[in-house]
Amino acid sequence: MDKLVIAGREFDCRLLVGTGKFASCELMAEAIEFSGTEIVTVALRRVDIENENDDILSAIDRSRYLLLPNTSGARDADEAIRLARLARAATGIEWLKLEVTPDPYYLLPDPVETLRAAEILVKDGFVVLPYINADPILAKRLEDVGTATVMPLASPIGSNQGLQTRAALEIIIEQANVPVVVDAGLGLPSHAADAMEMGADAVLVNTAIATAADPAQMAKAFKLAVEAGRIAFKSGPRAVGKTASASSPLTGFLRD
Amino acid sequence: MTMLKINGTDRQFPAGMPQTLTELLEQLGINQATVVAEIDGKIVERQSFAQTRLSSGQAVELVRFVGGG
Repeated sequence: MDKLVIAGREFDCRLLVGTGKFASCELMAEAIEFSGTEIVTVALRRVDIENENDDILSAIDRSRYLLLPNTSGARDADEAIRLARLARAATGIEWLKLEVTPDPYYLLPDPVETLRAAEILVKDGFVVLPYINADPILAKRLEDVGTATVMPLASPIGSNQGLQTRAALEIIIEQANVPVVVDAGLGLPSHAADAMEMGADAVLVNTAIATAADPAQMAKAFKLAVEAGRIAFKSGPRAVGKTASASSPLTGFLRD
Repeated sequence: MTMLKINGTDRQFPAGMPQTLTELLEQLGINQATVVAEIDGKIVERQSFAQTRLSSGQAVELVRFVGGG
């Protein structure tokens, strides 16, 4: 498979995996192994002073996986920037999944605050991968301020609804000069394959893997689907037709 | 009374304040290798935890990575 290149860095795998919602660190570690991913997202939260805290980083081999901290929980640009700088202080790396989601019900990203934060963070040296609604103009504006990718949503986070934003995603993919990572809402490997067949450069999956009865096997299924979709896209799929187009010759029938 | 606001909650230290961020983390039983800290909104690099002196009334944020998408 051809390589995915983000901000000059090459990746063999086009599946990014989120680490939320796993029942245990062991299940998470097994799933990211089976997914073949090279990029895993993590979130920043307050330490629970009263209780024991799991150390998720001890379950992620950072020599194998690029850690992509997100700014989840941020309700505006200022909160996202604060989280970004904390994440950088913690990891020493500048890669960041920028997300600004003021509404907890649909978790839809705020385009104005996301653009504002992206502009500041790019100037501050961050490699910014912004989570956005599937808005082609916003995608261009983010690209113009120097984000490393755009990450439009397929449907609301964790909803498993698949490619609800298909028409807008097609426009984003057609126009983008940075990798397009379809993020959020992919509930099945077939959704991921579909996005890849459309020409998405990568997909990010969390809930569908983490909440499956067998996360490791589901991770493997997504891996294969992403590969299949990418290979299909590169193989030049043909257009949808209105009528039949015979596969077998329409000559030489055994009749007079 | 000596007091720090830790992760949004006031915490008293009647027996005496921890002198440094490292001491605070030890008192709280938190592994400092897993934590990022802010004091009064300013990030403290992990390598300076031991040298970072605390004073009463400061707001301390202790943050760590968790699973997330």
